[in-house]
Amino acid sequence: MAEKKVRKYKDSDEKITAKSLITPFLFSFPFMVGLLIFTVYPFIRAVLLSFMEDYRFLSGKFSGYGLGNYTAIFNDPNFINALKSTTKYVLIVVPTSLAISLLVAVGLNSVKKLQGLFQTAYFLPMVTSATAVGMIFRWLYDFDYGLFNYFLGFFGVDKIHWLADVKYTMASICIYGIWSMLPFTIILLLAGLQNIDPIYYTAAKADGAKAKDIFFNITIPLLAPTIVLTSIVNVMSAFKVYDSLFVLYGAKPGPAFNLYTVIYYLYDQFWNKNKLGYAAASAMVLFAIIALFTLLQNLVTRKTNYYN
Amino acid sequence: MKVTIKDLTKRFASRDKTGETVTAVDTLSAEFESGKLIALLGPSGCGKSTMLNMLSGILPVTSGKIYFDDKDVTELSPDKREVGLVFQNYALYPHMTVLENICFPLKIKKVRKEERIAKAVEIAKMVHIEDYLKRLPKELSGGQQQRVAIARALVKQPKLLLLDEPLSNLDAKLRIEMREEIRRIQRESGVTTVFVTHDQEEATSISDYILLMKLGVMQQFSATRDIYNNPANLFVADFIGNPTINQIHGVYVNGGIKPDGSDEIIPCSIKANENDRVVLAVRPESVLFEGGQTTGTVNDMYSSGKDWLVNFNIGDTELRGYCDADYNVQEGSVIKVGFRDKGQFLFNEETGERY
Repeated sequence: MAEKKVRKYKDSDEKITAKSLITPFLFSFPFMVGLLIFTVYPFIRAVLLSFMEDYRFLSGKFSGYGLGNYTAIFNDPNFINALKSTTKYVLIVVPTSLAISLLVAVGLNSVKKLQGLFQTAYFLPMVTSATAVGMIFRWLYDFDYGLFNYFLGFFGVDKIHWLADVKYTMASICIYGIWSMLPFTIILLLAGLQNIDPIYYTAAKADGAKAKDIFFNITIPLLAPTIVLTSIVNVMSAFKVYDSLFVLYGAKPGPAFNLYTVIYYLYDQFWNKNKLGYAAASAMVLFAIIALFTLLQNLVTRKTNYYN
Repeated sequence: MKVTIKDLTKRFASRDKTGETVTAVDTLSAEFESGKLIALLGPSGCGKSTMLNMLSGILPVTSGKIYFDDKDVTELSPDKREVGLVFQNYALYPHMTVLENICFPLKIKKVRKEERIAKAVEIAKMVHIEDYLKRLPKELSGGQQQRVAIARALVKQPKLLLLDEPLSNLDAKLRIEMREEIRRIQRESGVTTVFVTHDQEEATSISDYILLMKLGVMQQFSATRDIYNNPANLFVADFIGNPTINQIHGVYVNGGIKPDGSDEIIPCSIKANENDRVVLAVRPESVLFEGGQTTGTVNDMYSSGKDWLVNFNIGDTELRGYCDADYNVQEGSVIKVGFRDKGQFLFNEETGERY
């Protein structure tokens, strides 16, 4: 008879037995409970819900399983609008905030004095409450007294109805989005920059490279793994945009219901329209998009691993 | 290219906040002959890497001058000095292939693509890595990375090649192989080369000249053979040579040395002032086990292949010497030893200066 295969822990000679699993299981138990209750169970429910037709929240009754919710939302102009606007928002906000963050991070990395102070300052937006930030942005966007219009005045540009004019809805939420994305992006890029061994800069200098050569030939390629990681994380979070609509437009999708985002659509179907099936289906569509980017991230991360 | 260093000094602000400065290199002057291999040798913290970085231009000098041939390069940036630099951990760009790494200095110089590839391949052949051009640094062994680093430094045809502890990251066997390779590559390219090391054996085995430093001060700069046979002071005598030189501390009396803990007087042909505290230094191979007149006691013996290394005492001092394998002594034997004139030096105990 063939010998029974003994399973062992990775990098260890210890055998995997029922007894040896007890301690790690106990350690992970509290977190696992939370994960099961608040993430896994709701996710499974949402998947099921998205296929339940004519689901009624109070009675819990539904007419049967089918693709009705999906056909319905794809025929809803608001959902199509939401998909388009969200994609446009992602395409504007992610690259712009990445470019700004890169500049700031490179600058911060070369600052010798008060680096800690600057890093804290740039990190502040991340720990500031969204409501407070929203208040400030409403003031910044204010037609009569806002700082943005005040500055535009310097350049002789006419005042803009940032929050009232439908033409500027996308611009307003993009500026807000770019701003709120900066701290996280800067911190990650800065960490990436600080991970680059300064010996490469010295070597490049000795090879005759100027600051510009070093930036494009050394800094950017060596930062590429971090850039890819942050971009994809930012794409995922940008697809979930909706808080800006809440704080800037008082929980409306733009001043004239003109700018839906996928999550706002989901929220709207759930709370205001009581279409739980539609909400779940739109959540699944968003999930598919984000899952795609996660796969992409895994792929690219493996490609840009220059070390070991 | 000839390198002339005049009164070169580097001071760093101290790490603690006393405001004091640390002198890493102290008014050092030397002249490196063209086409030679020069070793900057010394214990860690002696300022040898600082010296190298000042030669490359990475580190600005505090005072003094550096001339390449007759040109003052003291204020020139690294890229204008035409130096090739090899780092201790090679510093190969991890995202570039071997070929791209070697091509990089030429790319910066805006050399045409075909031309820079041709040049890189030529250099790659010289350092024997032409089979690995498509690989990334992480796919190479330490010795291969070392070769790539040298190729990258040589490809722009530098007038001066600088190597910072080039062998310290390699295992013992590879180290010996690579140091001979460095010697061969240096001979083939004919470029004046300065390399930093703390290993005296490495320095003596491949260099033409050795510049020995201690705490930022040059101790001796001379041809490699001379530094062993003619050390300028006790530090040099002690630092160069393996096993290390024997040191007998004592008092100079009646034309000989009376070692501490012994009443005998070791005769010595080197003159010193009567009653000076001195150190008699003798190379292990200059210890004679026949025809001597100083009494010693054998502690231990080790076979070192063709002969024995004998560990013995004169008074309180422990010494080592080589003897023939058929020399018949054992632990505890009382022997008579003498010292050859060659490989025997006398130093002032206090100043370390040689008589």
